[in-house]
Amino acid sequence: MQGPSYTRDRCITGVHGLDEILRGGIPYGSTVLAAGTCGSGKTTLGMEFLVHGAATGEACAHFTATEPSVKLLENIRQYPFFDMNMVDSGLINVFDMDVLYSWLGLEKATFDLDDVHALIKSITDIVNTIGVTRLVIDSVTTLCYKIKSEQLIRDFLFTLGKKLATLGCTTILISEITSATENAHWSSFGVEEAICDGIIVMGDVERMGHLLRFLQVVKMRGTSHSRAKYTLELTPLGVMLTPMLKWGTTVDKIQGWGG
Amino acid sequence: MIELDQRIAEQLSEVSLNSSIQVRCGTSNAFMVTASVLVPLLHSFEMGGVYISASRGAAEMIEALEGLGLSTENIHFIDLVSSGFLGGTEVPHDNVSFVDSPIMLESVLLRTLFHMRTTTNERNFVFLDSVNALAIYNESRMLAEYLHTFINTFRQRDVLSVILNVPDQTPPGVLANLDLYCTDMVDRGQVVIH
Repeated sequence: MQGPSYTRDRCITGVHGLDEILRGGIPYGSTVLAAGTCGSGKTTLGMEFLVHGAATGEACAHFTATEPSVKLLENIRQYPFFDMNMVDSGLINVFDMDVLYSWLGLEKATFDLDDVHALIKSITDIVNTIGVTRLVIDSVTTLCYKIKSEQLIRDFLFTLGKKLATLGCTTILISEITSATENAHWSSFGVEEAICDGIIVMGDVERMGHLLRFLQVVKMRGTSHSRAKYTLELTPLGVMLTPMLKWGTTVDKIQGWGG
Repeated sequence: MIELDQRIAEQLSEVSLNSSIQVRCGTSNAFMVTASVLVPLLHSFEMGGVYISASRGAAEMIEALEGLGLSTENIHFIDLVSSGFLGGTEVPHDNVSFVDSPIMLESVLLRTLFHMRTTTNERNFVFLDSVNALAIYNESRMLAEYLHTFINTFRQRDVLSVILNVPDQTPPGVLANLDLYCTDMVDRGQVVIH
C-alpha cells in the first residue's frame, strides 16, 4: 500500500525518544498542550525543547507564570544539557508573566476581553519582534486562572494558537493537572485540550509503592504517533524515554496527585 | 584467592558485541563465575560497561572485585539494593548510581542507556546480576517482558549483554524465555536434586 505523499515539516524536539514517538517531531507551527501532575517533568521537557532549538540557532522564548525567571534558571542550570550562554546571547529569552502584566497595566485579579486581547497582542508582538520559532508558556493554567469565563479562555487559546502558527512558531503550553487517570481531563479548565493541536500527558504510575513517571502522546494533529505509555526519567542529559512495560501498567493503579 | 574459570574466557572470545549471553551459575559459585566473565571482558577485550547490581550492594561488589586486583574504574554500577535501607547509598565510590527499587525496571534500562550515551569506552557490556534477584520483586510475565526488551535494546546498540541467573531460583517461564532470547550460554549452574 502506498504511504501518504505529503508530510508536514517537523520541529525536532531533541528530547530523547519523543521525536520517535511523534514519527519525526512536532508538526511546525503546532500548539501542543503538555499536561502533567506536579513533579512529572513538564518544565524540564519544555526547557529541553527550547535548548535544542537554540542549539541550532533558533530564537526561543519562555514565559514563566508559576515561578520567577531567576528561580527557574537557577533550577534548570543544574542540568548539564542547559547552557546559560543561550540566555546571555539572546537565543533563549525568558519573560516573567508578572512583569508583562505590569507593562500592560494588567495588575488585577481577573481579565476581561480587552485584557485578553492585549495579552495576546503583547505575546505575539514579542514572538514577531524576536523571530521566535519555539515558545513555551509555563503554565497556561496559572495564566488562565485570571480569566473567569470558559468562553474567554477558549478565545484566548484559539486566537493565540492561530496567531503563533501564522508566525511559524511551535508552542508548548504547559498545563497543571491534579490527576492523570484515564477518566481525567487533560487540562485544568477542560477547554485547552479541545483547542490545541496536540496533547502530551505526563504523570505517575504507582508500582508497589513506587512512582514511575510516564509520558503519553494522546493527540497530535498532522502526524501519526504512538499512543503508548512511556516511562520517563530525568537525567543530567534531560528527559529520557522508554516504552513502559505492558505488564507493568496493570500491576497497580495509575496514580495522580489528589485525583 | 579464588581460581578463575579459564574456559569462560575462551568461550567469551567467540562471541560478538551484539551477543546476549545467559550465564548460569549456582549459589556457591556465583562470584567466581561473575569474576571469570568480568576479568576477560575488562582485561583481554578492553571493554567498559555497566554492572546492574540487584543481588548485593555495589560497594560490596566493588570491594570483592578489587580484592582480586581487578580495577573497576571502567565499570559504572547501578545499585538496586542499597536504597532499600537508610544509609545504604552513602558509598565512597563515584562510579555508582542508585535506583530506588528493583521493581523500577524501566528506570534501570534508562540509567544504563544514559551511561552508554556518556561513556567514552568504544566497546561496552551490560552485566545483569541477576535474574533471580529481580524475580524476588517482579512478577514473572513482567520480568520476561523486561528481559525481552533489555536484550533487544542492547543487541541493537552493539552492547554485549551478560545475564546472570541461578536456574533453580528463576521462574520456569522466565528461564524458558531467556533460553529463547539469548544467543549464547555459559553454563556453570549446579544440578540440584530435590
